[in-house]
Amino acid sequence: MLALHELQQRFATAVLGEDDSGFERAIHAAGLTGAQRLQVYRNNTRLGLTGALAAVYPVVQQLVGEGFFHYAAAQYITRYPSRSGNLHEFGGPFATFLETFEPAAGLSYLPDVARLEWAYHEVFHAAHHAPLDLCALAAVPAERQGELRFQLHPAARLLESSFPILCIWQAHQNVDHDHPPVRLDDGGIKLMVFRHENLDIEFQSLPDGEFRLLYALATGCNFATACEQAISAQPGFDLPASFRRHVLQGALTAFYLPDTSSSIHDHP
Amino acid sequence: MSAKLATSRLGPGPIPVRAGIGLRAEHYDVLLETRPPVGWLEIHSENYFGAGGKPLDYLERIRAHYPLSLHGVGLSIGSTDPLNHWHLTQLKRLIQRFEPALVSEHLSWGSVGGRYLNDLLPLPCTEEALYHLIARVAQVQDVLGRQILIENVSSYLQYTHSTIPEWEFLAELAERAGCGVLLDVNNIYVSARNHGFDPDTYLRAIPHRAVQEIHLAGFTVNRFEGGEILIDTHNQPVCPAVWALYRQAVQRFGPRPTLIEWDTGLPELAVLVNEAQQADAILEERHARAA
Repeated sequence: MLALHELQQRFATAVLGEDDSGFERAIHAAGLTGAQRLQVYRNNTRLGLTGALAAVYPVVQQLVGEGFFHYAAAQYITRYPSRSGNLHEFGGPFATFLETFEPAAGLSYLPDVARLEWAYHEVFHAAHHAPLDLCALAAVPAERQGELRFQLHPAARLLESSFPILCIWQAHQNVDHDHPPVRLDDGGIKLMVFRHENLDIEFQSLPDGEFRLLYALATGCNFATACEQAISAQPGFDLPASFRRHVLQGALTAFYLPDTSSSIHDHP
Repeated sequence: MSAKLATSRLGPGPIPVRAGIGLRAEHYDVLLETRPPVGWLEIHSENYFGAGGKPLDYLERIRAHYPLSLHGVGLSIGSTDPLNHWHLTQLKRLIQRFEPALVSEHLSWGSVGGRYLNDLLPLPCTEEALYHLIARVAQVQDVLGRQILIENVSSYLQYTHSTIPEWEFLAELAERAGCGVLLDVNNIYVSARNHGFDPDTYLRAIPHRAVQEIHLAGFTVNRFEGGEILIDTHNQPVCPAVWALYRQAVQRFGPRPTLIEWDTGLPELAVLVNEAQQADAILEERHARAA
């Protein structure tokens, strides 16, 4: 008699893999054969997981077409199996998968479009965070401002691509409208996917300096270092205005001074 | 134990003995604008596991107007893997935040060796599986600090080494784990057609007091060379044969909160409301007869 654990392992292998190694003999053949019955589950599983991918990556699917997308999804499902009972967590490494997916090699921008769609998906489900405490920030002595470290809002993601991925994304939002044709040689983009307090999600195209400033802060640099990096990325850009804008719109949510770690100004 | 929660501060409490509908994102706005007269709403728990954003925001606003039931599709309670505590933690957090009157899971498994198939896969009906399920359901109820309901699933295969009919398996599980039963009448019909048993046998085996909720949905017939198979697709209205079986179930168990499920090819909200009204009419017939 097949023990429950072995049954589940063989079932999963049969459904996810190619070889069901005689497992169909554990299944009653009445009307339909065991193999046909297993095929129902194989289809259901593949459709379920492919549907979850398609829900997160609608633009990738439009770019490659449904047939190709299903083919790519079938490969993805076996190489990066689902690790969660929550389907919304499925599909994170799809961009990484597409980078080495030979049949898509001609579409060099595809992985970055997938990255943009995953960022949108993460931002959609990310936590709420109260805005930064402006009074507390204003109270930081001028001589210590360079030491400040900031936190990026949980519903903000920074992305950089050498392709015009935002134009590509926008051109696939409302297919009934005419969009100007996307020219791949229009060059790359730096952007932030940001969810506002009212839960609307916006793609903000950022100049080099602004992107570098936020990126440096998001990766743990102190304010002085972030400012240096921003200015060297884009000499002469209006750093104070840019910083103020992101504080006010809530992209930066909390700050602290490293040697007084107990005083994180955070209002979750 | 199920429908006895006092009205919570969040909105209406107990699930009334009426028909409800599955809440789907496409209907959020029209539901809030029109507030149709359905008795209660059910969500797929995992759709609200995110840390924030629109799903939770909408749920909070909708919860203020309707009693709520949580229906899980991903816990994989029948798996031989250790219980996924992260999943349970998120479920518990959701329960604490939204105070649902009912919480249910499926008589199935969906993962092994850490890999998830994200499907409701059939269990063999053996003593081993039964003991495993009894222990798992008890564990989940301990962690959540409340009773859960277990739903029978549609199945497309039966294992040659099963020794217990599914209806006895479910009845025994409810009895020994102390869980309730969410009786999916459509699933009984689908499995009965797929495996050639009498659905009435199923109904007769389930203890009355265990049944706390009923599900209804539509299925699809797939034709194969050599036969056909019914697939539980939740993509169309409840079929006449399932309505007839539902009448029989209501006759047998008495009126129970009944859910109209629709997941793919979602129609306008009004179509679901109309299906719910048909279920309400059957529940009322039974109420009237009992009075």
